[in-house]
Parts: sequence; structure tokens; C-alpha cells
Amino acid sequence: MTTYLELHALQSVPPSNLNRDDTGSPKTATYGGVLRARVSSQAWKRAIREDFNARLAPDQVGTRTKQIVELLRDEILTQAPDLAEHADALAIAAFGAVGLKLTKPRGKSDANAELGYLIFFSAQQVRALAAAAIEAAAASDPKKALQERKAKELVNSDHSIDLALFGRMVADVPDLNVDAACQVAHALGVHAVTPEDDYFTAVDDLKEQAQETGAGMIGTVQFNASTFYRYAAVNVEQLQVNLGNPDAVRLALAEFVRSFVESMPSGKQNTFANGTRPEVVLVTVGTGQPTNLVGAFEDPVRPDGGYLKPAAEALATYATDVFGTWRTPDVVFVCGLGKPQQVLAGVPDAEIVPFEELPERAAAASLTGLEAR
Amino acid sequence: MSVLVLRLAGPLQSWGSSSRFVRRLTEPMPTKSGIIGLLAAAQGRRRVDPIEDLIGLRLAVRGDQQGVLLRDFHTAHHQVTGASMPLSERFYRSDAVNVAFVEGPSEVVEGLADALRDPAYPLYLGRRSCVPEGRIVLAVEHERGTEELVRTLEWQAGRVQKGRHKDEPRIRVAVQADVGVFDGLQPARQLQDVPVSFNPEKRVYATREVIETLVEIRNPAFVESEAPPERPTPAHDPFTAIREAR
Repeated sequence: MTTYLELHALQSVPPSNLNRDDTGSPKTATYGGVLRARVSSQAWKRAIREDFNARLAPDQVGTRTKQIVELLRDEILTQAPDLAEHADALAIAAFGAVGLKLTKPRGKSDANAELGYLIFFSAQQVRALAAAAIEAAAASDPKKALQERKAKELVNSDHSIDLALFGRMVADVPDLNVDAACQVAHALGVHAVTPEDDYFTAVDDLKEQAQETGAGMIGTVQFNASTFYRYAAVNVEQLQVNLGNPDAVRLALAEFVRSFVESMPSGKQNTFANGTRPEVVLVTVGTGQPTNLVGAFEDPVRPDGGYLKPAAEALATYATDVFGTWRTPDVVFVCGLGKPQQVLAGVPDAEIVPFEELPERAAAASLTGLEAR
Repeated sequence: MSVLVLRLAGPLQSWGSSSRFVRRLTEPMPTKSGIIGLLAAAQGRRRVDPIEDLIGLRLAVRGDQQGVLLRDFHTAHHQVTGASMPLSERFYRSDAVNVAFVEGPSEVVEGLADALRDPAYPLYLGRRSCVPEGRIVLAVEHERGTEELVRTLEWQAGRVQKGRHKDEPRIRVAVQADVGVFDGLQPARQLQDVPVSFNPEKRVYATREVIETLVEIRNPAFVESEAPPERPTPAHDPFTAIREAR
């Protein structure tokens, strides 16, 4: 009933400790009877989110408008038609309560007040603020009621796109909750892993100068090295409902694809300098049950000239099987390096797309899928 | 009445029923609220939409592969202020395969199967990060009842697990079911996992009684092997001394 944009990646990471638990060891999980490395969904999702926000400027997107009063008034009328006479005043009061200064445009005395600069509000934010304004209208002190409902947080325009994609949870003010449109799975190693320890010593420079021997500090750092299978899916229809603007949806999807590929959790980065990129990325757009291809690795991959080659082959075989039987996506893009890309390109209907074009092509395909419904 | 047979498998799954505060536990097998949530999401119901019609479905779950309990240490930071939010420990079952049998009127069950094949919201096994692996809808059965299916459906464990049991012709698996699925068995336990409302402002769960039992099913990976040779009597047999003394 909706179009899903799904991203699969195989990424080798050298000795590293990307994501550790409270004992300092890299996180692991058992799958297929065997212990594997894991990077928790929340760790990589945060890395993707920070990369996304660093690059995205919401004011790049259309329907920035100074005429936000009209926007909110129309939404109030949709939600509560009986407030028709008060809708204008309510809208202006709502913006006043959230701290947005409205001024009447010069030369037009009969026009509504507008904001002095352009701003982007997602459809979900406008809906939420309208609901808050309608409830506050019934209260004795509307301004105070709006403040209590944290109306300011509702329209935080720095995060309009980011919230629609990644969601928000605020335990004590459930109105602020936004259901994420994306779903990021735990990254799982494709092969068995042995946790390892690095015993280190640190030298005290001043003691050394004073000709004293012995380490200043000794300790261990846990690490492991693994080839990960990563998966993420975006519910394109929900993103459209949250944002309300096809340009914003296209931008969000393209930047999500780019951030998924280019981001990495920063755990122990200075110690291990483990920044890598996926060796191959498979992007699909289609309807039907979103398909995690981790089943390709339920039987742990055995080394055969490294882990990447057999992993790519296992993924290609499994994907061909799945896409040929119970879940055929509309579009399949493959992007990667040399041999792994070649192997994945063997999946039926797969198209090799260079990385510079991949985010835009994926976003365009998702929107086409959405329109086709 | 028809039965919808679902395969709930993935690297991680988590089915909460009684967790408090920052320690989020998991039941060993899928809960009714988890499965109803999955079905409602597939149909496109939002959290605030009613779900009374789904509560009436009768549920049985068979734990084909138990898996391993996993503890995940979870930190969070406020996005704007950077302040550290409360640390939590979240438990998952990793490497588990469960089969759920959902019994209800035929049109409802068929509708649910169609919804699962083309879901409106992304599906997950208890938590959003637990993406299911493989096809979720195994079958829609119109002739056989839940109890017969529980006893006869093929063992869905993974290859490695099957390999560990290849000497056993029959496997014992745990089953947790609503009252009425197994005639003659009494409920052992109460679980507070019947969802009345998923509304984030006021989530309400009611209690149900569950029957817990073990069921023996055929092992499809059983390999008939020769009986091991009889072990010869050891050279030192202390009982000879006793027998001679008599």
C-alpha cells in the first residue's frame, strides 16, 4: 500500500570499536548459531542523522513562505470548520505564542501580517500547530495554553525535514511525537567474529625525561574487524504525508541515500581511524513487504580470499532468489567498487549507477513509484 | 475459521510485556500486542485508530528456534541541547525463529494476509530496528485448525540449528497459546499483552491467560545413522568382586 525505498550495503570495517556497550567491548549478536559483530541501529542512525543535518539546509526547499498566517488558517479551517470567524486571529495568536514576529507588508493595508523572511514548515508541523491552536482556543488563556503545549517545539523549523524522516519521541509531551518514516536495522557482521583485546601502555613524557622507567598507564581496548551487512528502509508515502511537499521529499530521500553511504559512527575514531565506505550498495524501490536480505548471511560466510567476495556472492544469489519469487521491486540500482559491483549487477533488472547520480535517481524513482499509486 | 501462519524471524526481535522504566525486557516468544501491532501496521491503522476487531483473533505461537538473549546498552543524547538522556538496557532475542498462528474468520484472515504482503507501514518484530527476515506470511490455512497446524507444520529453524539436532527424529518445541487452542490443557500463566489501545497518550493493555506446553514435531533434517557399536565391558569391573563374594 506504499512505496518503500530500501538500501542494502556491504561494508568492511578494519580493526575498530565503532559501537561499544557499557563494558567497552564492541557490540555483538548471535545469528545462525554464531557470534558476529554488530553496530546498533541507534548508533548508525545517529551518524546518518548528523550527517544529514550537517548537509541539509531546509531553506533550499520550496513552499518557503512568508504568508504563514494563510497556511495555518487554512489548516485550522480544515480541522475545525466551526472556527471560521476566529481562524485568522487564532493563527496570528499561535505564531505570536511561538515567538515568530509577524509584520504587515508595506503598502498593503488590508493583507494579513506576514513573516519578514522565508521559512519552511512541513505539513506535519502545520497540522500539529493547528491542532494545538484549536485546543488552546477553548482554553481561558489561549497564549498560556499554547506555551504549555510546547508549541514552540512544534514548529522548530531547523528540524522540519529531519523530524519527518527520523522522528522524535518526547515522553512527557506526546503531541510532539513524530513517527519516523525511516527504519534502520542493526548492522550485522556477515561472518563469525572473535572479540580481541589490544593491550596498551602509555608513556609519561616527563617521567621519561627524568630517566624513570615504567609505563604511566596500562590498559586494554577491545576491538574487532568485520564486514557488515547494513539495511535501511524509507516509507515514502509517510514521508510525503509528513512533509507535504514533493520537492522536500525528493531532497530528503536523496540526502538520506547519501548520508547512509557516507556516514559512520565515530566511536574510537582517533584510536583506530576506521573510516570506510560501503564496497557495494544495492538500492531498491517498490511496494510489498520490505525485505531485509540478511537471510543471505544466516549461514555465516566462510573466508574465501577475504570475506567481501563470498559475501557479495551470497547477497547476489539470495537477492536474485527473493526478487524472483516473493518480492519483486520496481527498480534495482547497484553502486560500488569493481568486483562486488559486478557480482551484484548480476541480479535481474539491476542497473549500475555511479554514486554521483545514485541519490537523485533513487529519489526520483521513489517519487515515480508514489505517483503511480 | 481460517488460520494465518506467520514466520517471525530475524537477527533481533523483542517482545515486551512488563517492562518498567529503563530496563526494557523481552518475552521469550512473541506477544499478542506485538503481533496485533504488526497486523494493524500492515493494514495501515495509526496508533490512535481502534483495534477491537483484532483482539478477538485467537493466537498460538511456536518457538522453533529459541535464540539467545541479548542485552543492548542504549544511550541517547538530546539533539538540540546535547544533554545525555537516561541510559537504558534493552533486551532482545537474537537468532530466534517463531511461528505464529492467528485464527479468525476467513475474510479477516485473508485480508490480513494481503495486508502483510503489501503493508502500509514498515513492519518490525517488537522494536522498529528489528526488521523481519524472509517472507512473513507462510500460509493461510482454511481446512486445518490451529492445534493440528501447530503439531504438523514443518520445523522452521535455521540450517545451523537443524544441524545440531540431526540425530533426533523428533524435536520438542515450546508453544504458548490462547485458552481454547488445546483442548484439555489449563492455562499456566497470565500475560499482560492484550492491547486495548496503542494511543501514545494512553496505552492500555489487558491481561490474558496463556497455555504453555511442549509439542513434539518431526525433524525434517533427521539423518538415520547406524547405531553406535556396543561398548565392551571395561577391564576393571568392580561388580565382579561383589558377584564373586556372594
